[in-house]
Amino acid sequence: MDRIFGIDLGTTNSLIAYLDGDTPCVIRDPKTGQGILPSVVSFPTPDEIAVGTAARDLAARFPLATIASVKRFMGLGMSHVSAEDRQYYRFADPDGADIVRFQIHERAYSAPEISAVILKELKLRAERALGEPVTRVVITVPAYFNDSQRQATKDAGRLAGLEVLRLLNEPTAAALAYGLDQRNQGTIAVYDFGGGTFDISILKLHEGIFQVLATNGDTRLGGDDLDRRIATRLLERIAADRRGHPDVVQACIRAAEAAKIHLTDAAEAMVQVRLPGLNVDASMPLTRAEFESAVSDIVDRTLGPCQQALKDAGLTRSDIDEVVLVGGSTRVPLVRARIEEFFGRRPHLDLNPEEVVALGAAIQAGVLSGRRTDVLLLDVVPLSLGIETVGGVMERIIERNTTIPVIGRQEFTTFVDNQTAVDFHVLQGERELVKDNRSLARFKLRGIAPLPAGVPRIEVTFMIDANGILNVTARDQRTGREHSIDVKPSYGLSDDIVERMLEESIDHAEEDVAARLLIEARNDGDALLRATHKQLAHATAEERPPIDAAIARLDAAMQTSDYNRIRDLTEELNQVTTPLAERLMDASIKEALEHKRVEDVG
Amino acid sequence: MSPTPAAPVERASGASTASETNCWQCGTAHPAALFCAACESIQPFAPGSDYFDILGIPRRVSLDARELEQRYFELSRRVHPDLYQTGPSQARIISLGNTASLNRAFRTLRDPLERGLYWLRLQGDDLSRDNNQVPADLASLVFEIQEQLENFRASGRPPAVRDELRQTRTELTTRRDHAFKELHDNFIEWDAGRADRAALTQELKSILSTIKYLRTLIRDLDRELEG
Repeated sequence: MDRIFGIDLGTTNSLIAYLDGDTPCVIRDPKTGQGILPSVVSFPTPDEIAVGTAARDLAARFPLATIASVKRFMGLGMSHVSAEDRQYYRFADPDGADIVRFQIHERAYSAPEISAVILKELKLRAERALGEPVTRVVITVPAYFNDSQRQATKDAGRLAGLEVLRLLNEPTAAALAYGLDQRNQGTIAVYDFGGGTFDISILKLHEGIFQVLATNGDTRLGGDDLDRRIATRLLERIAADRRGHPDVVQACIRAAEAAKIHLTDAAEAMVQVRLPGLNVDASMPLTRAEFESAVSDIVDRTLGPCQQALKDAGLTRSDIDEVVLVGGSTRVPLVRARIEEFFGRRPHLDLNPEEVVALGAAIQAGVLSGRRTDVLLLDVVPLSLGIETVGGVMERIIERNTTIPVIGRQEFTTFVDNQTAVDFHVLQGERELVKDNRSLARFKLRGIAPLPAGVPRIEVTFMIDANGILNVTARDQRTGREHSIDVKPSYGLSDDIVERMLEESIDHAEEDVAARLLIEARNDGDALLRATHKQLAHATAEERPPIDAAIARLDAAMQTSDYNRIRDLTEELNQVTTPLAERLMDASIKEALEHKRVEDVG
Repeated sequence: MSPTPAAPVERASGASTASETNCWQCGTAHPAALFCAACESIQPFAPGSDYFDILGIPRRVSLDARELEQRYFELSRRVHPDLYQTGPSQARIISLGNTASLNRAFRTLRDPLERGLYWLRLQGDDLSRDNNQVPADLASLVFEIQEQLENFRASGRPPAVRDELRQTRTELTTRRDHAFKELHDNFIEWDAGRADRAALTQELKSILSTIKYLRTLIRDLDRELEG
């Protein structure tokens, strides 16, 4: 039986993990040893795709053909796109469109398609590392993801050729990874502040049962927002006239992120940015205090959901036995201080906050495959679900924080005499009025016998499965007839479109592999060429001719798409330059040692 | 055109007489068990099972909360869909349905108010039936508080009135806690099988509607105080 893998498909970084015996392990890239794959996809040309670190390195050169933080757009329509988003992405569709697609070269890519590229890369990494096929997976999602966002994640899995056996809530996954080593009783709060999303979950642990009592969050709030806030300052200060240039904006964001990370341990950082095209470095000093006052309102936005989750769980702050931190943004000292202040206790930091979700996903994968029988998750639906009724009011059928799976039923009737069809509008959210909630889908029930208003009885059943995904059925109680309903999702891809994309992607599977191999080969070749040019001045007269010849051959090959030839010629150049490189290395070590000796004396 | 919610209707309730069915997997007849005695396949809960049947606990409305939770966890460990993910699809569907029923049963029984309302339905009664009025002793209080809230909003939410509202809230929660105590006593009466059932039902209805009103009032106050 094939193994089941656990995937953390994050806003900033993604990981894949598995159970080695009983122990969850993150799978590392056999070449680089990296466990983290940056969730970035870049299309330097219409026929090339780069993923991960390679794509991130291309972001400054191809800002609009490089997609980072795609998770922010999963399951959304253009109406959810902000003016700020338009600064960083080029969208393919008009304002009212029910789907978000990125315009890249001549093609439009939906968010699930971009996510599928990341998933495929993780799949490939695991297959290379373990030498076995990866087909069945558990993918984690923010607990506060609504139905459309969950569907979009499932679609991404399908597009990547994966069978998604379960969508698992990220804070729950983290609790699973933590709960194993911690005390196995008690109430814990999982504070998950990632690159683009925020979740808070309150769980009760009881002899291997992880019972979620309440969850809350914000699926558009994360470390990205901190970076953008600092980037905006930087732009105002040093590049106000170039604010509209995507490459400048991109460079400022990278600089802001680096400064944020530096300020985790340091009291002051220099935000340094090389302005593209100008070849000059601009810089701005930033103290931790300045950083904290600039972003404190963003951090404070996480506390409201914490308060609400506690209230929904029927608890107060003092009932919480442990606080667990998840997500890279919890490394920010201000975030830690605020949590400690809020819960009145020092949070747990034993596990790597970037890896803990993937480890939990691997454990849940072990549960689903029957390898782990000691733990069981009882999760909840994060947002209430209901139906629009006459007058634009939402009638709730399932309340938020209900344990899943759950089945809810509600009877509806007609509003006017002889009405033979009813339009159902499925909604998710906590507000009274339809317009304030999220539209999930619409369907029409036909063939109702013409009767006076209020006489027909139509039972609508909402079933939420263990993935937190909704299935709706409607039944005419008088005839007992179950109506087949055509559910049209309000946002995201319909099943037909996913099918068609799948067919196309199978056709292109071979090209995709070739494209990525080409990019890798070009990157390696490019790096070596640049290093060689720097060393060339130190080459002896005898060394020069073979090196020059090898450079010329590799340069020519780099213009073609023949990745095998590029690789071979890279290796050739590597061999002819090795003596030179070694000599230079020795010299610099010697110099360093001499320098040190002088210092010692002084 | 959008639908309108239909008023609840009475459903014929009553235990199903079919206590014996056949296993979907091996065909062995089994007496309403959760797992087939022959092949151990998961079976659906017997049709007509009430929440006490589903949880396999005695039909006592004054149940022990800790025992209820223990039982819920035990059953979850046996029927949850996570355990049937790689099994036959029929087992997966049954596990899904059983867990949904189990979750609903637990959710209803663990909350005294919901449990009381459910108990009332098991008696063939309903809170909405001949009981549409505010409980007499609450009527004036409801009126008073609504007026207080309106004044608070109209006068620009002065701190003095806010303190008054906080005081009112404390009084209401004390009252609510007292009503819950009465509810518990009523539950014990039912389980002791003493008193007259019709009188018990009336008392139960009165306590339940009192709690519901108090809860709504407290929620209204909270909204105003937090907002």
